[in-house]
Amino acid sequence: MTTTVAPTAAAAPTTGKRPRGAKLVRMLPLSPAIGLMLVFLAGPILYCVYAAFTNMALTGPGAANVKFVGLDNFRKAFGSGAFTNAIWLTLVFTLISAIIGQNTLGLGLALLMRKSTKVVRNFVGTAVIGAWVLPEVVAAYLLSAFFNDNGTLNVILHAVGLPGQDWLYGAPIIAVSLANIWRGTAFSMLVYSAALSEIPKEIEESAEMDGAGGWRRLAFVTVPMITRAIMTNLMLITLQTLSVFGLIYAMTRGGPGTKSQTLPLYMYEQAFSFSQIGYGTAIALVMLAIGAVFSLIYLRGLNSEAA
Amino acid sequence: MKSRKRFTVAAVASALLLAVSACSQGSTTKQPDAGSSQSAGPAHIKIAYQQWGPGVVMKNFLTGVKSEYEAAHPGSQVEIVPVVASENDYYTKIQLMMRSPNTAPDIVYEDTFLINSDITAGYLKPLDDYIKNWDQWSQFEDTAKGAAKGQDGKTYGVPDGTDTRALWYNKQIFQKAGLPADWQPKTWDDVLSAARTIKQKVPGVTPFNMYSGKPMGEGSAMQGFEMLLYGTKDTLYNYDQKKWVVGSQGFKDSLNFVKTVFTEGLAPSPKDALSPNMGSKVGTELLPQSKLAIDLDGSWIYGNWLKSGAKPWPQWSTVLGQTAMPTQDGSGKGKVSLSGGWTWAIPAKAKSPDAAWDFIKTLQTPQNAAKYATDGAQIAVRKDVASNAAYKSSSASTQFFTDLVSVTVYRPALPEYPKVSNEIITAMESVMTGQSSPDDAAKNYDQAVEGIVGGKDSTTTKSTGQ
Amino acid sequence: MIARDRMSKLASNLVLLAIGILFVLPLLWVLFASINRTAGLRVELPTHPTLQNFKAVLNTDTTYRPVFNGIVLCGGAALLTMVCAVLAAYPLSRFRTRFNRPFLLTVLFCTGLPITAVMVPVYGLFVQLNLVDTLGGTIMFMATAALPFAIWLTKTFMDGVPISLEEAAWVDGAGNMRALWAIVLPLMWPGIAVVLIFTFIGMWGNFFVPFMLLLSPERLPASVSIFTFFGQYGEPNYGQLAAYSLIYTTPVLLLYLLLSRKLGGAFALGGAIKG
Repeated sequence: MTTTVAPTAAAAPTTGKRPRGAKLVRMLPLSPAIGLMLVFLAGPILYCVYAAFTNMALTGPGAANVKFVGLDNFRKAFGSGAFTNAIWLTLVFTLISAIIGQNTLGLGLALLMRKSTKVVRNFVGTAVIGAWVLPEVVAAYLLSAFFNDNGTLNVILHAVGLPGQDWLYGAPIIAVSLANIWRGTAFSMLVYSAALSEIPKEIEESAEMDGAGGWRRLAFVTVPMITRAIMTNLMLITLQTLSVFGLIYAMTRGGPGTKSQTLPLYMYEQAFSFSQIGYGTAIALVMLAIGAVFSLIYLRGLNSEAA
Repeated sequence: MKSRKRFTVAAVASALLLAVSACSQGSTTKQPDAGSSQSAGPAHIKIAYQQWGPGVVMKNFLTGVKSEYEAAHPGSQVEIVPVVASENDYYTKIQLMMRSPNTAPDIVYEDTFLINSDITAGYLKPLDDYIKNWDQWSQFEDTAKGAAKGQDGKTYGVPDGTDTRALWYNKQIFQKAGLPADWQPKTWDDVLSAARTIKQKVPGVTPFNMYSGKPMGEGSAMQGFEMLLYGTKDTLYNYDQKKWVVGSQGFKDSLNFVKTVFTEGLAPSPKDALSPNMGSKVGTELLPQSKLAIDLDGSWIYGNWLKSGAKPWPQWSTVLGQTAMPTQDGSGKGKVSLSGGWTWAIPAKAKSPDAAWDFIKTLQTPQNAAKYATDGAQIAVRKDVASNAAYKSSSASTQFFTDLVSVTVYRPALPEYPKVSNEIITAMESVMTGQSSPDDAAKNYDQAVEGIVGGKDSTTTKSTGQ
Repeated sequence: MIARDRMSKLASNLVLLAIGILFVLPLLWVLFASINRTAGLRVELPTHPTLQNFKAVLNTDTTYRPVFNGIVLCGGAALLTMVCAVLAAYPLSRFRTRFNRPFLLTVLFCTGLPITAVMVPVYGLFVQLNLVDTLGGTIMFMATAALPFAIWLTKTFMDGVPISLEEAAWVDGAGNMRALWAIVLPLMWPGIAVVLIFTFIGMWGNFFVPFMLLLSPERLPASVSIFTFFGQYGEPNYGQLAAYSLIYTTPVLLLYLLLSRKLGGAFALGGAIKG
């Protein structure tokens, strides 16, 4: 019964009766967060915006004298096949691994866990969380072993009569997407479990009394009650997935060729292997823009009252 | 009831939080005095170097030299800062450190491959004034001296060792294939025909490995491609004209060699070759398990097989032989090798450059130089070390790889080199996977290089000697 | 009714179990490799299981000190993040002003910037403020970097707590902070736990930030010292790496188990869902 503490309809929009107190005082609790972000984030980010319009480099000639180059970095990026390739791969990777994979699987796990016995829940929870908390480079190693030509995955596929393939070579972006689902689903699972726990049992029970079957109940009762959580979760995992670096880098180095070189890998290569900080930050700004577009779409879904 | 229980939990949790945050506060307040020791007098020397994972050879070596130095210079203090990271991350970090006088170390360990970029960036201090009064400099091989020279002709680093590259081959497999145990290929064709023989006579064995493609990074460009290119009549860079070489026949021939080994199945399948773990697989699996007959590789790989290594294999010295990589048609010096290696340099913003130089001199006393070359599995760049008995016998292959120093070549370590190297790898990969013909790949390379170095004016079609 | 319930419970269990096994399979590599002296990249049951790998990594330099540093660093930063995020989320969730939306959007968009891109100016800033190689500075930066996500997530969970309860408290004369502490927080512990775990894991696995901002080896956390297992030419000692990974993973797993058990939320392992 611990989950039914909230007595009134939960997830009700926060309507607006105001306690007293001057507006400013009410906003005071924001100040530590704002202070930290002003000092440690605002400055560096503005500097990045500036750097994106220069030829700044960490070493070589661009380090000795930094020149303003206008839109050159962006022009160079959009004129480069490697960059557009990276954008496509990033979108595919995000779609498969976050929007479809982690999100659906996370919701499914959260729903199933409500109906399962403790032992099973413990076991699955620990396994899913275990995948999440493992250090990234280690995760990458064991996933390389898993997706290898004669790795565990192919052994299983053959055992059940399905054709296997060399994932890392033949379908690297699929392999790293699956890897990211494996690694990242825990977060969605936790978010959805927490959100589901806020739905009062009575509501679902009364729906059940009305004779609503499992799927109908899910579609018309449960999911609408957690729309907010779904949109927020989608937004956060999308933003996270857009910047996944270590996992892909350790599994494929972006290869073969550039078949799994997503934007963060391309940026890292340009900024750190080739020391072109200016160009690298320009790419980072493009990533920022992509993230912003996604966020705006989700915010639509969250409807205007959310923020 | 339940909600009261929650309260208790919350209270306990918050108390814990407070305790931990207080604790972390405590440790942060300790920082200032630890930090202030950095500016404790002029004879405080800070040394930053890249430490590779488990290897403690450099650490032990530096610790020894530190006590030697501190004993000889009472009151001085040497601080050793190992940076444990991949090479990219190491470079990012030391470059950031060198940008500010507050954090610049007094001595940095710089790869010959990248030192020129840092010279151009103005991070390093020329050492000529120090070197001209240093009696040990004459002991260094000329090629090695060149490795730390800037485009301005000044010297910016003291090399402490190098590596060379050659063919490792498995004598047992060679015997099965009816090939000589004392194999000495004179041309590329000799290498190919041995590989073909092995393919025919010893099934289940990969005849030949050269690192190719992106996952092996610079290993592909240097150990793989440039070992071929520098055996042709062409090079990457024309030092006389100070221009990058494009459109050379040697480049195409080298790509053709890559094509041959991959299309004929002499090399590992492209998908194996393109695995990021290929390097460790060769060292810990393919060679020790006698699944690979010929390997174009570096002088250091036996490190895998020492007792402390990843795959102890004491028999390596009898099973494996080494032979020089031949030039394309046996002309020139007949053999080819490329070298990398590291140098000690002094950042421009170092606080105590004079003391730093004193310390570098201590690092390079004849005894210390020999000790490091021996313990660190280095190939000596000093004549006195090369003839040191303990060094020569430090491994079964040391003598062989040291002899290659006389023919070895350093990469054109110019600021553009990392990008050019990336294009070499791209060309190589498109050939090995059959995406492009060697001619097309070479053409793409030429265009890319022109883009990198700033147009046609900065390239030439003529190669000259080193 | 009851029979159907039981059926659906059985089905749930089976499906869940199947998914769980899929998640465990890749993990087998770490488990097996950690007790195999000559582990490679293949999944293989060691013929001679050994604790050698653990013995080799369990020492001050490799494990104890970095793990301790990591706990201080990430624990401190995660707590700082949580305190700031909860404080910030309250007015954002409770009071609607014209300031909220632009603020939240700005914060959100900033998180899209990859941290690797920001590190160069951040290092410059740290040099200016004389914070390079200090735990305090690193804690503050890590906390700040995690704040935007934490604020968003916390606000979302807080939105789920009905405001009517606080209104009663306000009538009683309790202030905002008192209402937050006494009423809102206890109702949203599951959400807080999610944010905390998420924040902590992000920090625990973060290599680049502590690596760039800390110089002294004695201060580096576990995420940086993992590179101890990668040799000069990229051949890791897989066995020791796996053993270290298990140790490295333990604090986070413990945190998860602790929070999930103590807080009893439905996401938790021990939650009394069937009441």
